[in-house]
Amino acid sequence: MIELHAATKRYGSLTAVDQITLSVARGEYFALLGPNGAGKTTVVKMLLDFTRPTSGTLSVNGISSRDPACRTSVGYLAETPRIPPDLTGWQYLQRCAELSGMERAEAIEQSGKIVEQIGMTGREHTKVRTYSRGMIQRFGLGAALMGNPKLLILDEPTSGLDPIGIREIRLLLESLRPQGLTILLNSHLLSEVEKICDTAAIMNRGKLLVKDSISSIIKDGETLEDVFVRLVKG
Amino acid sequence: METPKAHSVVLIIARYAFADVVRQKSMIVMFILCALFVFLLRQCYQGDYMVNGQMLRADAIAWTVSKVAFHVIAAGAMFIAALLTMRVFKRDRDEGMLSCIMARPIDRWQYVAGKILGIWALSVLFMFTLHGIVFAITSFSMKTPVPAYLVASLICSINLLFVILFVFLLSLLLPDIAAFLCAVGVGIAGLAANGIHSFGQSQMGQALVQQSADHAPSGFTWWGAVYYAWPNLFGTQLSAASLIGDGGGISAYPILNVLLYCLALGVLLSWRFRNEDIV
Repeated sequence: MIELHAATKRYGSLTAVDQITLSVARGEYFALLGPNGAGKTTVVKMLLDFTRPTSGTLSVNGISSRDPACRTSVGYLAETPRIPPDLTGWQYLQRCAELSGMERAEAIEQSGKIVEQIGMTGREHTKVRTYSRGMIQRFGLGAALMGNPKLLILDEPTSGLDPIGIREIRLLLESLRPQGLTILLNSHLLSEVEKICDTAAIMNRGKLLVKDSISSIIKDGETLEDVFVRLVKG
Repeated sequence: METPKAHSVVLIIARYAFADVVRQKSMIVMFILCALFVFLLRQCYQGDYMVNGQMLRADAIAWTVSKVAFHVIAAGAMFIAALLTMRVFKRDRDEGMLSCIMARPIDRWQYVAGKILGIWALSVLFMFTLHGIVFAITSFSMKTPVPAYLVASLICSINLLFVILFVFLLSLLLPDIAAFLCAVGVGIAGLAANGIHSFGQSQMGQALVQQSADHAPSGFTWWGAVYYAWPNLFGTQLSAASLIGDGGGISAYPILNVLLYCLALGVLLSWRFRNEDIV
C-alpha cells in the first residue's frame, strides 16, 4: 500500500529524513515512532505531496506520491487539526464529502454516520469556535474517515484527548479492522500503539532504526517503551 | 471515494473561497458603506450647476457624475479586491482548509484556480452591484437606460483579475500587507505613467518634448516606454469608460496589456504554488 525507496528530505544543511526505505502492506496497522524531530511528520508530508522529497521515491497504492490520484482513497488527520472557526462541524464534514466527490444525499448520510462514530452527536451543528481541542480532534478524524478511505494516515490522533477519548479512538480504529483498512499511525502513546498496531518502525534523527512486527521488536520482559528508549538513546 | 472532475473541484473551491469571504462581518460592513456612498450620489444629479454664468444641461451633469462615479468605483473595487485577496492563502493555512483540500485527490492548480475564481467572482459582483446602482440612478435621471455602463463595468473586471493574481503571487513571497501595498503601488505608478503619457500626447506636452528634442532620441520617451510596458490598469478603465456617453472609441491596447499580464501572472502563480510546502 505504501512504498518508500531511499526517501530523503533536506532543509538546507538539515537532513530531516535520510534514505528511508520501507513498505506497508495492505490491511496493516503500522506505527511510525520516534522522538520529536525524528522526521515522522516529514515522511507523512512527503507521502501526501505536501512537501517534495530531495531524492528517492514514495508511492501509495502503486501510484507516485507526486500524482494527486494516489490520494484518491486516503484519509488524513494532521498533527494539530484545525477547522475554520466560522463553520460548524457538520459544515466541515460536508465540505470534506464534497471535495471527495460525493453527491449531496450520500454526503449527508455519511456525515451522519461519522458524527455518530466520533461521538459528537448533538454538537455537530454548533460553531467550531466553541469546540475544545479534543472535539476538533474528533472532527478532524471524522474528516479523515469521510469517503471510506483505504488508507488512513493519522498524525498523533489522540493528542488533546482525555483518557476516555483516547480509548474511544482506539476502539474506533479497531472496529475499522474488518474493512481491510491500512493505517499509518504517528504517535507518542506507545501503550496505545502496542494495543492497536501490527507493525512499527522507529526513527531517530531522520534515520530508520528498526521496522518489524511489534511482537518481533519487543523482546521478552520488555515493553514497546523500553525498546523505544533503548534504540533512541543508542 | 471517487475522484471528482477537475472543473467541478475548481467550482467547489471557488464557492468556498466566495463563502469564506462573505461570511466575514468586515466584508458586509464594507459593502453596505460603499453602497450607501454610491446611493447618496443621486443628490449630485439633482443640483443646479452654473459654469461661467451658464446653467449646465441635466444630461451633461448626469454623464459627468456617472463617469466620475464609474472611475471611483472601479478604482475602489481594485483596492477592495487586493484587500480581500491578501489573506486568502494565509487564512486557509491557519484554519486548516489548505491541508484538508490538498490531502484529497486534488491538483494544486485546481486549488489555485478555485481561489482565483471565487475571489474574482466576489470582487466583480461587488463592483458590478455598485456600478449597477449608478446605472439605475443615471438611467432614471436621463429617462433612458445606458447599458454601455454595465458593459464598461464588465470590461473593468479584467483589472480586478490582474490585482487578484498579483496579490496572490506576492502573498506567497512577501508578508500579506506588503503584497497589498505593492498592488496599490503598481496601480498608482500606472496612473502616473498614464497621466504623463497623456500629457506628452497633448499640445503642451508635444511643445515641451520638441524643446528638449536635442537631448532625446527621436520618438522615444521614458514615460512612453513605462506606459506601454507597465500594467495599464488606468488605461483599461479609461478605455472602458469611453463606452459611456459620447466618448471616443474603445482602445484595445490597455486591455490587451492587462490580459497579457494576467496570463503571465497566472502561469507564475501556478508554478510558484506547485513548489510551495503545505503546512
